[in-house]
Amino acid sequence: MKQLHTFDEVFDSQKTFRAILDAMANPGRRESAAEAAGKLYGGNPAMLAVAMTLLDNSVRFCCLGDSALAEQIHLLTHAPAAEAGEADYLFVADPAQIPEAVAAAKCGTLENPHLSATLVIADNGEGEAEAVLYGPGIAGRMRCPLSETAVGALRLRDARHDEYPEGIDLIFLSPDGSFFSIPRLVKREEA
Amino acid sequence: MNDNYNYAFLDEGSKREIRRSILKAVAIPGYQVPFGSRELPIGRGWGTGGIQLTLSLIGPEDTLKVIDQGSDESVNAVNIKKFVKMCTDVPCTTRTQDATIIQTRHRIPEIPLRNDQILVLQVPIPEPLRIVEPKEEVTKKMHAEMDYAGIWLQLYESLVKYGKVTISSEYPCTVEDRYIMNPSPIPKFDNPKLHEAECLYLFGAGREKKIYAIPPHTKVVSLAFDDVPFERESFAGKKCRLCGSTDTYLDEIFDSATGERYYQCSDTSYCKEVRSR
Repeated sequence: MKQLHTFDEVFDSQKTFRAILDAMANPGRRESAAEAAGKLYGGNPAMLAVAMTLLDNSVRFCCLGDSALAEQIHLLTHAPAAEAGEADYLFVADPAQIPEAVAAAKCGTLENPHLSATLVIADNGEGEAEAVLYGPGIAGRMRCPLSETAVGALRLRDARHDEYPEGIDLIFLSPDGSFFSIPRLVKREEA
Repeated sequence: MNDNYNYAFLDEGSKREIRRSILKAVAIPGYQVPFGSRELPIGRGWGTGGIQLTLSLIGPEDTLKVIDQGSDESVNAVNIKKFVKMCTDVPCTTRTQDATIIQTRHRIPEIPLRNDQILVLQVPIPEPLRIVEPKEEVTKKMHAEMDYAGIWLQLYESLVKYGKVTISSEYPCTVEDRYIMNPSPIPKFDNPKLHEAECLYLFGAGREKKIYAIPPHTKVVSLAFDDVPFERESFAGKKCRLCGSTDTYLDEIFDSATGERYYQCSDTSYCKEVRSR
């Protein structure tokens, strides 16, 4: 039998989850899923590591810009694919699809804000920009070097004008497996 | 470690659901995320919410501390430690500084926690509005509409009747100017520790099937009126009979034979540490 990967469902999931949790609780801080990504395969192993950690057949996902990744996620996690507007997790592998993903992502309802989407966005690191981030998880204000891709995605998020607690949570994932997250309450100021 | 169980007892599907709920809880501070609370070999109401959080978080690199009312050696704490150790083999400690995950019932340790530590609180009744509204469907709507008049009225009534707010534990607080949440039955002495903390607080209610969180550096304000500020318990003039501390939360011990009252630190590991200095 051919072995597709050596990602350990118990221990690699736990480690990756703790990195994601640290990133969510400390927005803007860089964490890494590189070790787990190294045990997976395909053109986007870091995204696959996040999918393996969080997805199963009780949540729906949408993968934009990489049909091979969509197949791999479905094969490994059994999560059903859905339209962008209905997905619990959106994987945006191609930055060109960010506007479509951010516009379509569901934001939950005032009663059930947890029924909102988490976006995992491939951050190719192109262009240097800076933003000042503040909100829960950040001590005071934090000057944060970001790529143009990330700042562009945040601009689009802000343009949605979601009424908190409704909103979307973003994870920006670099090709080297490092990532940071921007939950819905974290606000951005142009630096 | 008992190999007949999956690592950390829960099956991976259960852990994943709890982990997804934890991430949502962190993204929406103070909001109670519903989750499918699992059966455990401990009855609901004995810390199963906290245990499920701990089991979903824990890994071989962690060090665990469990306290019950501040004590490392009480029955609930000892049994939870034994259970987690049986299915994970993680080292347990009583030193607050050495732990990466601290599960607690009804206290926040005296030593300020660091950013790399997670405090898991066991919660019996997560809904702060339950006292004014029995129906879950209605309280959910009240949170959605920020309809918190009922709980403010309850505070006001307490003032009118007794001249002060009489809530001693489970003192409600507002998180990031949005959700009113129940900080679990910690004494109101501990409420200020939730505000702008360094560590992550996770709350788990197993019987009520809710998870909520306070991330680090989050604004948490205990409910109070402009002219009647929030007050912690006062231990003025009292000190721990063992370590002599005057700035900690003290338990009162009554000797019925002599009629004497003693005070001692509720946080046993802190008390021990002060004595060994």
